[in-house]
Amino acid sequence: MRWLNLLKANMRKEYLELKRYLPNTIAMLLTFYIIFLGLFGTIHFIGDPSTQDTNIQYVIVNYIFWFLTITVINSIGYEVINEAMRGTLEQLSMSPMGIWRIMAARLVSTTLINIVIVIGLLYLSMATSGQWLNIDIMTIAPILILTLISMFGVAFIIAGISIILKQVQAFLQILQFILMGLTFVPLSLSPVLAFLPFVKGIDLVRNVMINGISISQIGMGDFLILGFNAIFYFAVGLGIFIYCERVALNKGLLAHY
Amino acid sequence: MESIIEVQNLKKSYRKRKSKEYVKAVSEVSFTVNRGEILGLLGPNGAGKTTTIKMICGLLTPDSGSIKINGIDNKDKRLKALRHISAVLEGNRNLYWRLTVKENLEYFAGNRGLSRRDVSVQVEELLVKFNLKGKENELVNRLSRGMQQKLAIAVAMLADSEVILLDEPTLGLDVETGYEVREILKALVRDYNRTIIISSHDMDVIQNICERTVIINQGKIITDDKVENLLRLFDVRAYTVELGDSLSEQQEQLLLQKFPQHEYTKDALKSMLSIDLAKSGEIYELFDILKLNNTPVEAIDRKTINFEQIFLKIVKGEKQDALAKPS
Ligand SMILES: Nc1ncnc2c1ncn2[C@@H]1O[C@H](COP(=O)(O)OP(=O)(O)O)[C@@H](O)[C@H]1O
Ligand SMILES: [Mg+2]
Repeated sequence: MRWLNLLKANMRKEYLELKRYLPNTIAMLLTFYIIFLGLFGTIHFIGDPSTQDTNIQYVIVNYIFWFLTITVINSIGYEVINEAMRGTLEQLSMSPMGIWRIMAARLVSTTLINIVIVIGLLYLSMATSGQWLNIDIMTIAPILILTLISMFGVAFIIAGISIILKQVQAFLQILQFILMGLTFVPLSLSPVLAFLPFVKGIDLVRNVMINGISISQIGMGDFLILGFNAIFYFAVGLGIFIYCERVALNKGLLAHY
Repeated sequence: MESIIEVQNLKKSYRKRKSKEYVKAVSEVSFTVNRGEILGLLGPNGAGKTTTIKMICGLLTPDSGSIKINGIDNKDKRLKALRHISAVLEGNRNLYWRLTVKENLEYFAGNRGLSRRDVSVQVEELLVKFNLKGKENELVNRLSRGMQQKLAIAVAMLADSEVILLDEPTLGLDVETGYEVREILKALVRDYNRTIIISSHDMDVIQNICERTVIINQGKIITDDKVENLLRLFDVRAYTVELGDSLSEQQEQLLLQKFPQHEYTKDALKSMLSIDLAKSGEIYELFDILKLNNTPVEAIDRKTINFEQIFLKIVKGEKQDALAKPS
């Protein structure tokens, strides 16, 4: 029950802030859409006509995932920095629930809310380009959930680093492009890439959405890799976060003012 | 009385930015707080009050020493200890400015695992108590500083913990709101049986609200005593004497011998003499001197020294030996 209340409170906060920052939210969506239009136009007018359709489909899926990783991973970093300056991070850290549980509730809330936005963007992009992808929920959902868990692990690492390093803003800027690399890189480049966070998951989703693969066609081995990544990155991420929290408690870094 | 907080031998140093040097923020701090007590933590800026409070709140790990809350060590069982504690830290910034008054209260309660329903009655009660009724749907960034501070205190109250720590609760408030916050704190003490620790560099606040005070300076406890004892200690032995006539040469000479630190202002109609018996001499010796010329005594007043003066003297190191030693 305490867990559920914690999650509900954070869902509500995320939603309310999104609503209060509505101009920001709209500007962000608009930027996303304009960049998408740019990419779409480039492929449409300059690209090789024989691979045009697949290229556009690739861009849609990759771009959507990039948006999701940025809103989940990058924003937790900025949130932590802001709350450390505000003093609210200290207030949260006094909760007997423990700061990592609050962060986990935040991550789940942001993700759920942003998935709704992402679905909207997905349909908008598909409608704009006239490329209708295979949205097979039953196949995408299990892949997505496992992928999100590894994403949370990475988010925990970013949150932890943001607490203890003061000049982390510059890194967060670069991080956007690292995330872009991870969401855009094709797995066919090298099989080792499958063990990077969320590369494998996004590759599978691409296969479902573009090539129409269904869950019965995905091997056990693929799910094992996804499952391993989910557990590995989440555990490592949480471990690093808890370590960073301890450092912060020792050095008094929970408040930056 | 049963103690609820036991602080023992706390030490904490901070590393200076971009150097290998350390600043000793707290070096010898031990005290206990009894259940239901209101303790003042008094000291000038940089004394180590915030550092001490943050260590008690589990926001800062001490370099050494221990803190027990309700018998629970807050290092070994940090989260369990935190159930018994809530705090308002320095400043009024620890709120979400884009959420309303009510949303802030509910959000912080949610982070302690409480649902909106669980706290709805208390939220209403606190809004009334803190004079925030009618402002519940106002965004926090539109509130005055005083109201933000009141909301921060309400957030801490809502945690329903036995112990509440308030770090400089009246800092940066104008006189009027400072007064209001003080009255609210006094009412809280009266109406709810909570254990409260208030830190301040403002003696007035402590004198007004607290029963006992721990005075801290440069990271060390200087004294730990009832406020009234501290006041009595300094109050009792300083006098101002109003004389109906001025003193003779001989009287002035004697006065200088017996009471080297006296103050004397001569006036044809009304001379004033201030002596501090804690420093030298006896009141009888004063009367002996006055009697030489039968100088008329119009009035004798015990000088009232306020807590501020006491505090300054203690910090400057006077009166050390006369004070209750910290336990
Ligand atoms: N985060 C910090 N980094 C370095 N020094 C600090 C930090 N916080 C406090 N100090 C230093 O520690 C001492 C005690 O500070 P503090 O506990 O804030 O005192 P007070 O609250 O009584 O004003 C001061 O000398 C202050 O400069
Ligand atoms: Mg302070």
